[in-house]
Amino acid sequence: MKRKRRSDEEAEINITPMLDIVFIMLIFFIVTTSFVRESGIEMNRAASSPTQTEDASKAIFVRIEDDGRIFVRNRPTDIRLVRANIQSSLAAMPGAPVVVAASRNSDAGILVRVVDQARVAGAEQVSMVAMSEEQ
Amino acid sequence: MKSRARRVGEETDINITPMLDIVFIMLIFFIVSTSFVKETGIDPNRPTADTARPMPQGNILIGIDTTGQVWVNNQVITVNQVRTLVENSRNENPESSAILIADEGAPAGIVLDVMDQVRLGGVTNIAVAADPETS
Repeated sequence: MKRKRRSDEEAEINITPMLDIVFIMLIFFIVTTSFVRESGIEMNRAASSPTQTEDASKAIFVRIEDDGRIFVRNRPTDIRLVRANIQSSLAAMPGAPVVVAASRNSDAGILVRVVDQARVAGAEQVSMVAMSEEQ
Repeated sequence: MKSRARRVGEETDINITPMLDIVFIMLIFFIVSTSFVKETGIDPNRPTADTARPMPQGNILIGIDTTGQVWVNNQVITVNQVRTLVENSRNENPESSAILIADEGAPAGIVLDVMDQVRLGGVTNIAVAADPETS
């Protein structure tokens, strides 16, 4: 430090290469960042455990058939009436879980819509099960 | 410019310290926010749902088309491979959440099977992609 330097500039650290790297990293991360704006609804899959089947009598069962027909507590209904049906069922059984049993070959779109309508109707717990063919 | 003589040579330099601060903050922001999202390779017709909301932090995207094929990272995989894949991405990022992008006409059984596999892989945060209702 006490040695005499020829010019003042030599005393500074040359940060230009570091800057180059920082900029290249910056550009890389900007380019690779893809902000995924996927919208969706959360779905909880019911575990097929005995505890779930025990309180089956207290649950509101919604059945979806192969051809898209919907049954709320064994009454045939339409997709637009699912919400009203579940609401009236919930009025009778407050806090009851809703179990959506979908046939394996039914459309996933109907399943999603039924779960969505059940949420809108105010069901706190909506779970899904796959209905086996040989029911 | 030519007429005025400068006293010290250093005064001619632009002070780049504030710029460097900003560049570093941007760099850190992009590094942190980058989650390398694997696109599914298909763009299905998403079902519509009233309760759909943006799911920003889903980094496991699984596509299911109308024929029930499962797409991840631009290739078709079997339902059994989903579990390994989910386990791998959970090792990389323990807070992973999965988004199932299922076509409206996808078989509900396959969708539920994939959900089971994702849960077996250790990711309990599962959402199904749905478009918010436009009306």
